[in-house]
Amino acid sequence: MKKYLKVWWLLTIKGTQIALSSRMGAILFLIGKLLRLSFFVSLIVLIAARTNVIAGYTLWQMIFFYLTFNVIDTLAQLLLREVYEFHYNITSGYFDNYIVKPVAPLFRALFGGSDILDVPIFLLLIIATIFAAFHIGHISFLGIILYFLLLINSMLIALAFHIGVLCLGILTTEIDNAIMFYRDLTQMGRMPIDIYKEPLRGLITFIVPVGIMMTFPVKALLGLLSWWIIILSLAIGIVLFLLSLWFWKYALRFYTSASS
Amino acid sequence: MKWAAVKPYLQVAKNTWNNALTYRINVLLWRFRMVLQLLATYFLWLAVIPANKTVLGYSQSAMLTYVLASAVISAIVFSSLVGAVGEEINKGDLSNYLLKPVNYFAYWLARDAGDKAMNICFAVVEITLIILILRPPVFLQANLLYVFLSIVSVVMAILLYFLMNFLLGLIGFWSSEVWAPRFIFFTIYAFFSGGIFPLDILPKPFFIFFQILPFPYLLYFPIKLYLGQLSILEIILGFLASGIWLFLLFKFLQWGWQKGLKQYTAQGR
Repeated sequence: MKKYLKVWWLLTIKGTQIALSSRMGAILFLIGKLLRLSFFVSLIVLIAARTNVIAGYTLWQMIFFYLTFNVIDTLAQLLLREVYEFHYNITSGYFDNYIVKPVAPLFRALFGGSDILDVPIFLLLIIATIFAAFHIGHISFLGIILYFLLLINSMLIALAFHIGVLCLGILTTEIDNAIMFYRDLTQMGRMPIDIYKEPLRGLITFIVPVGIMMTFPVKALLGLLSWWIIILSLAIGIVLFLLSLWFWKYALRFYTSASS
Repeated sequence: MKWAAVKPYLQVAKNTWNNALTYRINVLLWRFRMVLQLLATYFLWLAVIPANKTVLGYSQSAMLTYVLASAVISAIVFSSLVGAVGEEINKGDLSNYLLKPVNYFAYWLARDAGDKAMNICFAVVEITLIILILRPPVFLQANLLYVFLSIVSVVMAILLYFLMNFLLGLIGFWSSEVWAPRFIFFTIYAFFSGGIFPLDILPKPFFIFFQILPFPYLLYFPIKLYLGQLSILEIILGFLASGIWLFLLFKFLQWGWQKGLKQYTAQGR
């Protein structure tokens, strides 16, 4: 564990140096991310101001949904940035360097350097989420515990999705936008999944668990989830993670080291 | 214009089309992403506007038609490969084109044409399927004048987007940081072109301000023209603003290209 933490730290330092080598670029990326966040919050405020409720949720609840989505999305990007480079590593054969080293290649492919540029956004999101939570009111201690428990479950699902993307990268070098496909899929959880109609709602809740990932933590906080749904959500998260590990072992057998 | 001069560019467009067909899964996944984005916007507005009510000045059918029209016009206007220009300059690959008897701008226009043709085919199939499955109340414009004006505005939007995108690529002459400005550009146009929401739901002062910018003429203006929701004055002003932006951006591009070529050192070759 200590060895892996050290490897992660060293890779993150290296990644940070690369990211900050162009300070102007780093500032522009930060500005872009802040703009996107503020535009969406403004849109929610604009709509909710005229309609009072969207799909039965108040303005602050909608904002809380959106901010929680961003917390999960940003944390996944912050920690798992290396996945975005994986396609190149496979097509160039650079992945050989991961395999021959005494560090698990899955660890290297997932956590090979966190993105420093997401840290300020992440901290800002945490503050904004706490601020929004205070405006919701009527939050129980149990709700907060369940919120954090389901947030951990969300990260487990995000991890499983990212491992799935890595596996696709090995199995078919034809796909270079699988990670962006994951991003678009999870964007459907930007708003509470209650806005979608069946069968789409069921599909993005239990088959592709975007709903469990993005919406359920907030619903648990608001006391809108039953116990069996919470247990089912946790079970889906764990099963998905285990399946992704199995898929990784399966996919790794097909790596041909082409172009190396 | 002689056929021999056009023929190479037609071949470039054809190559782009064939290239997309070579990586079929990639293209399918890309289009599936577009469908997901459309569905997210579609269901948001379906939840916001009840069937028999008007919210923010839009009925449910007007808003859903807007969203679907936006998906079609996005496929036409925003499918572009010009984003690679900056990288080509940075890597020194531009030299390959400068040494050949090709017009670099026409080359990219041809590549875009091939890419747009592919995306339009997919978008038509996707929207047809969505209409058949979800059965939204779609408004079909019967007035051919509005349809014609809308097509003209789409052509202008294609050129506007091309010029803006190309200009961003020219940053490559002066800086290796070509993606960060593009990221900001994507963020801004995604909102202020009217792809996520019609701009006229914004408070009046903001709406007036955004109309001065080129972004509304990429999507919002063509869609509103198609829906027949603009007055004659608004149509004239819209085309005028579009034309002025086209002229200014074209002149700026010419100037930037000439200045950039003087800076170009083919670094990386």
